[in-house]
Amino acid sequence: MTAYERRWETRRGGGRSAGDEARESYYGLPVIHRAPWRWEIPTYFFLGGIAGASYVVAAIADLVGGREERPIVRVGRYVSLATLIPSPLLLIRDLGRPERFHHMLRIFKVRSPMSVGTWGLTVFGAFVTLSALIQAAEDGLLDRFPPLARLLRGLPRRLIAALGAGPALFVSGYTGVLLAATAVPFWTKNYLLMGPLFVASALSNASAAISLILSLAGRGDHRALRKLERLHWITSAGEALLLAAVRRNSGPTIARPLNEGRLGQVYRRGVLGAGLGLPMLLGAPGAWLGRRLPRGVTALAALLTLIGGALLRYLIVTAGHRSADDPQATFELTRARDR
Amino acid sequence: MSTTVARDRPGLTGTTGARPGAVGFLTDTTLCIGCKACEVACKQWNQLPMDELGFTGHSYDNTGDLGATTWRHVAFIERISDEEGRRPTSMRAFQSNWLMMSDVCKHCVYAGCMEACPTGAIIRTEFDTVVVQQDVCNGCGYCVPACPFGVIALDLGDGHARIGDGKAHKCTLCYDRLRDGLEPACAKACPTDSIQFGRVEDLMDRAQQRVATLREQGVAGAHIYGDRAVGGTGGIEGLNAFFILTAPPEVYNLPAQPELPQRKTIPASLATVAAGLVFGLAAVLSLRRR
Repeated sequence: MTAYERRWETRRGGGRSAGDEARESYYGLPVIHRAPWRWEIPTYFFLGGIAGASYVVAAIADLVGGREERPIVRVGRYVSLATLIPSPLLLIRDLGRPERFHHMLRIFKVRSPMSVGTWGLTVFGAFVTLSALIQAAEDGLLDRFPPLARLLRGLPRRLIAALGAGPALFVSGYTGVLLAATAVPFWTKNYLLMGPLFVASALSNASAAISLILSLAGRGDHRALRKLERLHWITSAGEALLLAAVRRNSGPTIARPLNEGRLGQVYRRGVLGAGLGLPMLLGAPGAWLGRRLPRGVTALAALLTLIGGALLRYLIVTAGHRSADDPQATFELTRARDR
Repeated sequence: MSTTVARDRPGLTGTTGARPGAVGFLTDTTLCIGCKACEVACKQWNQLPMDELGFTGHSYDNTGDLGATTWRHVAFIERISDEEGRRPTSMRAFQSNWLMMSDVCKHCVYAGCMEACPTGAIIRTEFDTVVVQQDVCNGCGYCVPACPFGVIALDLGDGHARIGDGKAHKCTLCYDRLRDGLEPACAKACPTDSIQFGRVEDLMDRAQQRVATLREQGVAGAHIYGDRAVGGTGGIEGLNAFFILTAPPEVYNLPAQPELPQRKTIPASLATVAAGLVFGLAAVLSLRRR
């Protein structure tokens, strides 16, 4: 659909007359412009979140865990690298002028979450690469380059993990702040909830991704898996609570995209049901009762969480677009209060 | 700071945070006759490509809204019925039920698009106007949802004949004409002086006098849109391109009390850090050695 066609789309649906709509708004036309972002952006929110949070999980397991937690550290570092690599490519692809991507690095601007985010992602990229290289050296993957492998093995692994955890947590959550600092009603109305929601979802997705790989690899690290399942459960519960808070805080007009149509189905059945409720139900015996779950069940719960995490990013971005197109949502936020 | 006489009624206070010497527009909607000369002059001077032709079927407004290649937009509001939905039997002031307004970039004192821009492409000029440097913009699109007025847009083409340049565009307040000591094309072309160009402090004085006159003549709803009380609220601190309206701003598709979006950055960041600490602690407790 072209921008021009979309310009008139919003007012065609209701079957109301020009007179009706002109009383409440300007013929039902949007007050603000929706973000021009395509599928690349929610996909980046999903993958970048996993990259940041799996680095955090690996770093914490490295710092406070023991020998049992080593598989988590190892897989976490590789997952972090694997999900980080496509992230800048997606961001560059979405630009109107991709060949000018480096203009992002002209300046550092504290007031712009996107500028801070670009630099955060750049710094984080260095930590992810270094930690993954160290892990590769420890795993003997770099034995063909003995001096490099020796050098990497000699680096202060845990210090690097501790320093990198900050930028990693930043990358998993700044995108929520980036959405909050706009005029889009659904995003800015929930400005205190967007960042926390993205952090919770990123950690839940990351622990799911790591436990999916560990359970499919089929090695004997049940104790590590159980710890991961607990983290997975806690962060999923946090995400569910935050998502419910978002709907409540939005109020009926701004929450309309969550309550209506296909997107409402995605919210209720997709994100809340299949992405959060079902994996929590499947994982509870393992996380809290100390039961040893069949690997298939763990893997299924993890897979559902990952699908739910991707759907969440799609939901939040699309609901923002819908609320930007709805003049009543904008007016609810900006109506004069002192007249 | 402009030193204008403060009055107690919102929309009549006329206080603005505009910097001394800033230039802008006063768009007096009571003088607009909907001729769209401003739209045409803008397109001509700035060599903006045509939009895809379409028919809204709603009013005389087939332009729709402001966009990457439409920097002036004349809104047409036909007030067919009164507030209670009845057809009026007597004409109000100006003997017409039409409201017409030539909308434009507001050149905010604190501009959401400029704050959001991660490349520094959007700058404040020596005239205190807000301009997108076309050789810097990389089309990230973050300025678009950051504008509380729906002004700036990416030129992504119309999907048919024309291919967009992928960059963000909006009114420059005719930066090139200002450099040469000329007034912007739309103000120059406006046959009724509905669009007036000048220093913001002078225009604000003129607007206050005009609102007072209109109210004396019985136009009770006349007010300024774009001072600190209406339109330039929430950290925006005033609009260098402001308006005289005779109906609530929503009627013209304008937000009454918008907010600078970046006001949310610090509280949102603090909330995110707090969540990071809470969930980080959960991770420490879950993963620690036992």
